[in-house]
Amino acid sequence: MANRLPWWVGGILMSGLLLLTFSIYGADRPIGASTYVPYAASLIFNLDPEHYSYIKKIQEAGSWEGVMLLGVLFGGFITSVFITKSFRFSLIPTGWKTYKNNSILSRLLWSFFAGFIMIIGARLAGGCTSGHFMSGMSQLAVSAMIFGGVVMLTLVITGKLFYNTKGKK
Amino acid sequence: MADIIFVVDEVNTTITDRVFKMVETVINTEHGSVALVFLIGVIFGGIIQYTRVDKFEKIAGFSMLKDTIIPKMLFLTVGLTSIGLYFMIDAGQAHYHVKPIILQGLIIGGILFGISMAILGKCPGTGPVSIAEGRIDVLVGAIGGLLGGLVFTLYYDDFFKPLMGESLGKTILTDFFKGNEDMTAIIFGIVVILIAIAIPKIELFDEADLSQLSDDKRPDKKEN
Repeated sequence: MANRLPWWVGGILMSGLLLLTFSIYGADRPIGASTYVPYAASLIFNLDPEHYSYIKKIQEAGSWEGVMLLGVLFGGFITSVFITKSFRFSLIPTGWKTYKNNSILSRLLWSFFAGFIMIIGARLAGGCTSGHFMSGMSQLAVSAMIFGGVVMLTLVITGKLFYNTKGKK
Repeated sequence: MADIIFVVDEVNTTITDRVFKMVETVINTEHGSVALVFLIGVIFGGIIQYTRVDKFEKIAGFSMLKDTIIPKMLFLTVGLTSIGLYFMIDAGQAHYHVKPIILQGLIIGGILFGISMAILGKCPGTGPVSIAEGRIDVLVGAIGGLLGGLVFTLYYDDFFKPLMGESLGKTILTDFFKGNEDMTAIIFGIVVILIAIAIPKIELFDEADLSQLSDDKRPDKKEN
């Protein structure tokens, strides 16, 4: 936590990266981060694109995001080891212990469940925080504004109902 | 829907072959070299890690309204990018890649996404960054996600595609303000940047990170 960038520096850098990615000198496409998941599933379970229309449809985007994902893992790892020094193995976040419970099993089961519906949700909507919220809204896309509004509202309602925040700062 | 079977490729390919094919696809498409796409990922992961917005305390913290770094950074990013991108597209330096308004898909998907983002405390972009810094619970979430992706693929034609509904087109905000497109884009960008600045800064800290710091460096013990 000592070594971290303020939110406004992060926003400026992320904006620069988005513009680079969008530009014809960069990748001439938006940044997305959820299409790689079904694509990765197709690699792991050996699903032939000729037999699965969805894999055929996402082949190009999924490959692009797959290579980007490898970069994200590498960049996240290097930064956590050398800059933020936050690399450590952990099974349960501190905030979960404060606002939910101390059970590792509960955390892992909820994580699994949330991961499962997260990808179904992202693929139904056609994007996630990166593809819709950041890339979509930056193009003034109405689809992204609808998604962003629904997500923000549901996120805050779920946070209030799911966690026990009463009497805790 | 009952008899879904795994149709496996005739040729026995290994996972390595398939990963090579993924890289090959990127080489054969015109969206930047493999090195550039990888580099975009490295910078993306680096920014997320360095700003610490992948933390449970930031994302789930926002869902409890105990941390506002996520919306502040997101809105600032969108505001700045929207103005820059609008004029880049105008000058032919970039193109629109607008996603269609598929109303049911956006609403049902948005609800599922919002619920899971609050519970997991990650999203598909920040999750890998947390896995890369050793968070096993997020790795378990990613396994759930892979199965979600598998189920979506297997039942796409029969169930998910009809559920999403029809596309209502790829409308963007400036379509409603014909004749004043430039002004609309600039005003949108400025308003979103102002929202980012106006959201009060509240932070939820993780004791596990704070404990590694000396008292004078702890952000929670500093007077604002």
